[in-house]
Amino acid sequence: MSTPTLAVGRPEAVPSRWRSLATAFMSSPSLQMVGRRLLVAIPVLFGVTLLTFVVMNLLPGDAAQELLGANATPQQVHELEIKLHLDQPPWVRYAEWLRGVVTGNLGTSLASKQEVTTVLGQRLPVTFELVLYGLLISVVFAVPLAVLTAWRPGGIFDRLCTVLSVAGLSVAPYVLALVLIYVFAVKLGVLPAIGYVSPTESIVGNIRSLTLPAVALGLPLLCFYMRLLRADLLEQMQSEDYVVTARAKGLPPWRVLVGHALRNSLFGFLTVVGLNLGTLIGATVLVEQIFSLPGMGQELLEAIDNRDIPVIEGTVLVFALIVVLVNLLTDLLYAVLDPRIRYGRSAA
Amino acid sequence: MAAPLREILVPSVAEGGAIEGVGIGWARRLSLDIVIPAAVLILIAGGCFLGPLILPIPKPVGGNILSANLPPFSPGHILGTNPVGNDILSQILYGGRVSFEVGIGTNLIGLVVGGLLGTVAAYRGGVMDAIIMRILDVLIAFPSLVLALAIAEGLGPGELNVIWALSFFTVPAFARIARAATLRLREQTFMLAAQLAGTRSWRMLFRHIAPNILPQLVTFGLLGVGVAIILEGALSFLGLGVRPPNPSWGNMIALGQQTLTAQPQLVLIPSIFVFVTVLALNLLGDALRIRWAVS
Repeated sequence: MSTPTLAVGRPEAVPSRWRSLATAFMSSPSLQMVGRRLLVAIPVLFGVTLLTFVVMNLLPGDAAQELLGANATPQQVHELEIKLHLDQPPWVRYAEWLRGVVTGNLGTSLASKQEVTTVLGQRLPVTFELVLYGLLISVVFAVPLAVLTAWRPGGIFDRLCTVLSVAGLSVAPYVLALVLIYVFAVKLGVLPAIGYVSPTESIVGNIRSLTLPAVALGLPLLCFYMRLLRADLLEQMQSEDYVVTARAKGLPPWRVLVGHALRNSLFGFLTVVGLNLGTLIGATVLVEQIFSLPGMGQELLEAIDNRDIPVIEGTVLVFALIVVLVNLLTDLLYAVLDPRIRYGRSAA
Repeated sequence: MAAPLREILVPSVAEGGAIEGVGIGWARRLSLDIVIPAAVLILIAGGCFLGPLILPIPKPVGGNILSANLPPFSPGHILGTNPVGNDILSQILYGGRVSFEVGIGTNLIGLVVGGLLGTVAAYRGGVMDAIIMRILDVLIAFPSLVLALAIAEGLGPGELNVIWALSFFTVPAFARIARAATLRLREQTFMLAAQLAGTRSWRMLFRHIAPNILPQLVTFGLLGVGVAIILEGALSFLGLGVRPPNPSWGNMIALGQQTLTAQPQLVLIPSIFVFVTVLALNLLGDALRIRWAVS
């Protein structure tokens, strides 16, 4: 604070450019929040992997037996157990696995002998693409639909959408998937029923192969998001002072709705989208199974069936990591959008 | 401003269509948006639990292979039969029992265990709150279907095991809601008054907190029953829930999938039952939410 500067009105003087940058960096509330949140995330991730390990070890049935089949002799099973280090106590195996994770080694699959990281590398892009596509469908349609329904609450369009959204929320994903397959693949024959085409093979084929699964994944979510956003928009329009101000200064109603109410509603909306990602990822297990997509969900089902603990642990870790990171990202985005949070003041 | 005048002249219509201020007593309480879904639910549940006792319906298993693949409206089999000759109506009714038992069971466990955890966490605060919430964080960060799959796979197929597996979803959800609701209650003056009067903790919990947060938990529970029915179907669909020949709506759909092109009704009929049941639960939950004005 020694050197006076010409920047009149700036509360703080700038001693040196780099030091100020460093101070700004360290004292940035957003960064501190990231640090705090990452610290909280570590025990959560640890808990998730521990829980998975405990659950999988408590379960009856073991990997060696599953791999060798029902006809294997106890001798063979025992030999394989020693080979795979399954004879060691669970906590030793968990500690070993954990040590590997810290160094980026997720172990090898008991069933396929492949590195778990390699397996995940092959499977993750498919699931990632599917989730992104599904999320895109739900958000891209939910926002305009919510705005249109909130435009005239109680109008014909609003009522129609309300009824349809309750219906959409009540459809089980597997039912929806089968109906989609029956209509679009069996009856109309416009989209493939099952299978996955990689984008390196054909971009169009890739999108076509993922369209039905993404719709099955995204449609219930679309209904949920639309209802949520509509309710929030209506609340903003009815009870917020800034809406009254905007109206009083003569803004056209659609600008009040889109420019003011929607902007504010999007905050809460983003959080919910982030929070819901866990459910969405869970749902991919089912959708991938129905549409025979070679993603993480399918891998996980096989791994659970084989008691292939390294693969299960790896998959669950990646799932949990994605959920934690997306929630963090949502909060950050929130901070970027809302200055009250950025500067550490509570928005509530 | 013409609005106030209009409000006086025309009774305001609440969102669900219930007319406020009209009717008396029970008639006012029972509006159509509550009665219709409730009636549908009672009809389906009653049909599932009482139907096989009253009506001359064949057993859901051990059907005659000679009467396999009958189309709907066949004599003796109103909804037809499946590829092994079991009566579909009977399978629907017995399978529905599974759905209702799982739906209600998991949410009851969630309501009691999760409700207690959440209330205690919020009421006690401090370390207790932190520990309970971190454990729940882990359960929430966990892709729940994965956990349910692992548990269902490990415990083996069967209805009771499905209930245990799915309770891992419901407990953290109920706990979160109960905690938030209790935190809001803590600020209320009647809570302070009760505390100053020297009310014991357990009495606070059951006399002051529970009645106030129950409406919120019950409305959530109704939606939760729908979700649980869908999830039970998902587990059965993946072969980890109730296994054939014992019927459940989920495994009926899964079996029907194999002959989707030739006999879409095998998928369609159980799908419609799942859909209508869950729809009725959602509508009832929504209507009660508006009625009890819980957010």
